[in-house]
Amino acid sequence: MEKAHYSPPWANTSIIGVAGSSGSGKTSLAVEIVSSLNLPWVVILSMDSFYKALTPEQYILAHKNEYDFDSPSSIDFDVLVDRLKDLKAGRRADIPIYSFESHQRQKETTSIYSPHVLILEGIFALYDQRVLDLLDMKIFAEADADVCLARRITRDVRERGRDIEGCIRQWISFVKPNFEQYVEPQRKIADIIVPRGIENRVAITMVVEHVRRRLKEKSRKHQEELQRLGKQAEDEPLSDNVLLLKQTRQIVGMNTIIQNPMTKEVDFIFYFDRLSSLLVERAMENIHFNGKKVETPQGNKYKGLTMAGEVSAVVILRGGSCLETGLRRVIPECKSGRLLIQTNYRTGEPELHYLHLPSDISTHDSVLLLDAQMSSGGAALMAVRVLVDHGVPEEKVVFVTYFAGRMGVNRLLNVFPNVKVVVCRIVEDFQERWIEKRYFGC
Amino acid sequence: MSSPETTTAPAHCVGPDYRPNAQKPTATVSTEISYENVHILPQTSQLIALLTMIRDKDTARADFIFYSNRIIRLLVEEGLNHLPVIEHTITTPVGHSYAGVKFQGKICGVSIMRAGEAMEQGLRDCCRSVRIGKILIQRDEDTSKPKLFYDKLPEDISDRWVLLLDPMFATGGSATMAVDVLKSRGVPENRILFLNLIASPEGVTSFAKRFPKLRVVTAFVDQGLDEKNYIVPGLGDFGDRFYTL
Repeated sequence: MEKAHYSPPWANTSIIGVAGSSGSGKTSLAVEIVSSLNLPWVVILSMDSFYKALTPEQYILAHKNEYDFDSPSSIDFDVLVDRLKDLKAGRRADIPIYSFESHQRQKETTSIYSPHVLILEGIFALYDQRVLDLLDMKIFAEADADVCLARRITRDVRERGRDIEGCIRQWISFVKPNFEQYVEPQRKIADIIVPRGIENRVAITMVVEHVRRRLKEKSRKHQEELQRLGKQAEDEPLSDNVLLLKQTRQIVGMNTIIQNPMTKEVDFIFYFDRLSSLLVERAMENIHFNGKKVETPQGNKYKGLTMAGEVSAVVILRGGSCLETGLRRVIPECKSGRLLIQTNYRTGEPELHYLHLPSDISTHDSVLLLDAQMSSGGAALMAVRVLVDHGVPEEKVVFVTYFAGRMGVNRLLNVFPNVKVVVCRIVEDFQERWIEKRYFGC
Repeated sequence: MSSPETTTAPAHCVGPDYRPNAQKPTATVSTEISYENVHILPQTSQLIALLTMIRDKDTARADFIFYSNRIIRLLVEEGLNHLPVIEHTITTPVGHSYAGVKFQGKICGVSIMRAGEAMEQGLRDCCRSVRIGKILIQRDEDTSKPKLFYDKLPEDISDRWVLLLDPMFATGGSATMAVDVLKSRGVPENRILFLNLIASPEGVTSFAKRFPKLRVVTAFVDQGLDEKNYIVPGLGDFGDRFYTL
């Protein structure tokens, strides 16, 4: 079968560049845009993170306020372009952390993943052609020079512990000439010039409207893509990688209790936990083992097996947490990551709200991905894609769920044919998510 | 210490069906038993790995308890599948009809002390507030035959299905006596399910012949018995490893 393509909604992230003089109010403008957008997963990326590390000589100069931080040569554009490309492609990007104390990059990085919108903010946000090529919107924040100077002095003295004289000296020797030579020319290539910063409601509304339109367009395309995958998937038989629980008397009996609305809450939870342990046991049949010879207390030899590597789990919230009791009964010490995927009730589109994965997840032998129900497969596709983006090969992913719709399963396996799906029952497509409501009682 | 009476251990590639054999490790799997009333759990790689853990003399007690419990739960789940059900169609929360079933028949557990008691937790994990009777059988020093020392069973046991618990099944002396006790209390043979972790082929064969209507559910049939009537390779004394060692 030909592998279908799925591009997640966060691929082709919208990137907005905000440039402007030091003290022109870029940061507050970016913050205002974010709060007016009122969307999850909007990230501001400051170009301060991409300052080059200083040599010892430069370090001495910096402490005498004689190093030119306001020239484009102080910024590591190569790394910046690299990270922006990753984000644009929907991959995770590790952003350096720059220390203004030591003027070096710290060992740690912060990672940004799959924002809906990324705002790149810095005096040279519109400077490098490679960056410009990645931007969806170019903004230049403008303010009178005296306002800029006043703001800069206030900030540097209050927040960065500098003295006023040093600030003014820096302004005259670096900031001003750099502005005229490098910053100001960016005005000409901006799409929007925003004078008066956050007071300028008209400009902010324009920006926000534009971004919303673009996101809507992307969402529509994503929906179409899911539908296209759906049509393709409707009539296909289930792949060998779908592992159904054998419908024994006990399983059917438990299904009856679980699905019966008359069942008391306490019984629902008991039987769901019992069943989820069996699902996780079934999932564990898909991990890898190596041969192992052991000796019994009597000194007899047995040629058995041992787990080849670590098995971890990733819980798709909130549905997946219904399976955690079962998970803990089988692997109590299992490392578990968490993803919060919520289906937008207006568009029906799954959205990624929260993500926390074990740092060494890409080295694990298998990753069990847990969700109580799979209907259209949208959340499952998104979750597998998140794992793949974090370095987990798709053949190591075992998706574990109580219910699944045939179309959802086929969609998932058309895109990721090597994923294993462990499921108790295949049900009608597009079933509403009711298990988590019943399990958690709300 | 090796054993004279053993059959050759069957070695197989173990793993899921979709995986090519070349990618599956080989391990010793259960000896097959050709009696309809003996049910051996599917020999999955996962089950073999669990058994490897509890056989290993270097496995600490906490792990021994945890991993044997996991196997016991699988045994109980398989055992319960032999209980009767009746059709029971319901309407699901989303309005679909589901042709389900309802569990029928009262059950109880009976553990053969002391090792059988180690299986009670696994039983309770699957059946809350299940009644559990106990039987103590010890070897009589004089006759070296098993002797009934103590029993405490539910009064209405003759109306119930009995899950008889004993993890190690070597010659089957105690289990045979326990079944005789149950039958003497009016439990029909076909309502007894014997749940067991590791059995010897000779023990389970003679037991299956002697009680043709009783069902045995076991995780693994080993190669045989040694001169002291220990299961080979076995896992040592289950009660000691679970309770005291």
